[in-house]
Amino acid sequence: MAIGTKVYYEDAAVGADIPQLEKGPLTTAHLMRWSAAMENWHKIHYDKPFAIEHDKLPELLINGSLKQQFVMQLLTDWAGPDGWVWKASFQFRAMNVVNETLRIWGRVSAKRDGPGYGLVDIELGIVDDKGKESTPGKATVALPYRGGKPVPYPFVPPQA
Amino acid sequence: MSILSEAVKKYIGMQSETEIACDSVERGAVRRYAQAVMNEDPIFFADCANNERYGGPVAPPLYPTHLFRRPFGAPDPIQENARNPDFDGIVATISSQGLPEIEPLKGYALLNGGSEIEFFRYARHGETVKLTSRYADITEKETSKGPIILVITESEFRNGDGDLLIRTRRTQIRRK
Repeated sequence: MAIGTKVYYEDAAVGADIPQLEKGPLTTAHLMRWSAAMENWHKIHYDKPFAIEHDKLPELLINGSLKQQFVMQLLTDWAGPDGWVWKASFQFRAMNVVNETLRIWGRVSAKRDGPGYGLVDIELGIVDDKGKESTPGKATVALPYRGGKPVPYPFVPPQA
Repeated sequence: MSILSEAVKKYIGMQSETEIACDSVERGAVRRYAQAVMNEDPIFFADCANNERYGGPVAPPLYPTHLFRRPFGAPDPIQENARNPDFDGIVATISSQGLPEIEPLKGYALLNGGSEIEFFRYARHGETVKLTSRYADITEKETSKGPIILVITESEFRNGDGDLLIRTRRTQIRRK
C-alpha cells in the first residue's frame, strides 16, 4: 500500500489479508547499518566467528528489533494518516539469518466499534523464503469511519 | 536443578530512576534510522499534510525505545572489553532500559524474546525522551536445550513535557 493511503473501518473485512511487505535479501550490510543506527553492538548480528563459534548460532542473526520495525511499517502503512496503531505484540519464536528475504503479513481477525472510531485486531507474522514463520504477533489498529473524523491524536484508548 | 537463584529473584519489582536520553530526537539520527529500516515516509523528515496533526516531522514509532545510548563521559564498554573474547558487544545501558544489569546473569547469552507495545503519540524532532522501567517478572522455563530465564521488563517512554509516547513490556531470554 502506498504511504498515506486512507483506509476506513468499513474496509476491514474479518479474514482478509492486509497488503504485505517484503524486505530483503537482508545482507550483513543491512544488519550492520541497523546496529549502527541504534548503536547496539551485539556481535551476533555482524561478527560471524563470534556468532557461530562462541554463541553456537547457525549464522549471523537478523535483529529481532529490525523485524519489529518491519511489522510496524506494515501496520502504519495500512492504518494510513487518519488511523493509529494502538497495540502490537511480537514473539521471536524462530531465528532469521543473514541473506534471507522476509515477507511480513497481516490478517484481520476481529473488529469492533470504538468511541468515534473502529478497532481492528490483526494477526501478523514474518515468514522467510521457505515460508517458515518466525515472528507471530497481534496488533490492534484504530481506523476512522468512512465520512467520520480521523482517529484522535494523541491517541486515547477506549475505556475498558 | 533450578538456575533461578534468590539473588536473581530480588531484582523483581526493581524500578529505575527516570532517565533522560542523552540526545534529543535529531533529524540526522532519524534519517539514519529510517534509512536502516528502509521506511522513508515523508512524515519522518519534512513538514507535510500527513504529519500536520502530529506537529511536524516525527521519528518512527519505535524510535524512542532505541534512544537510550551511552552519553558523553560514560565508561566505554567496547574499549574496556577489547581484550575479552567473551564480550558479546551488548551495552548494558541499551539492553536493560535504564535498569541495573542483573549481576548473577552476567555472562549469560541474551536473546530478544518478544514485546508488547502500546503507542499513544510520536516523538517529534527536537523533543527529549524520558524513560522509566521496572523488572516486572523473572521466571525460569525448561526447554529442549536446557533451562532458560525469562526477564520481563515494563517501560514507559515520555516526552519532555511528560506526555506518554509508548508503553512496552519486553521479554529477554537469558541462557548459559
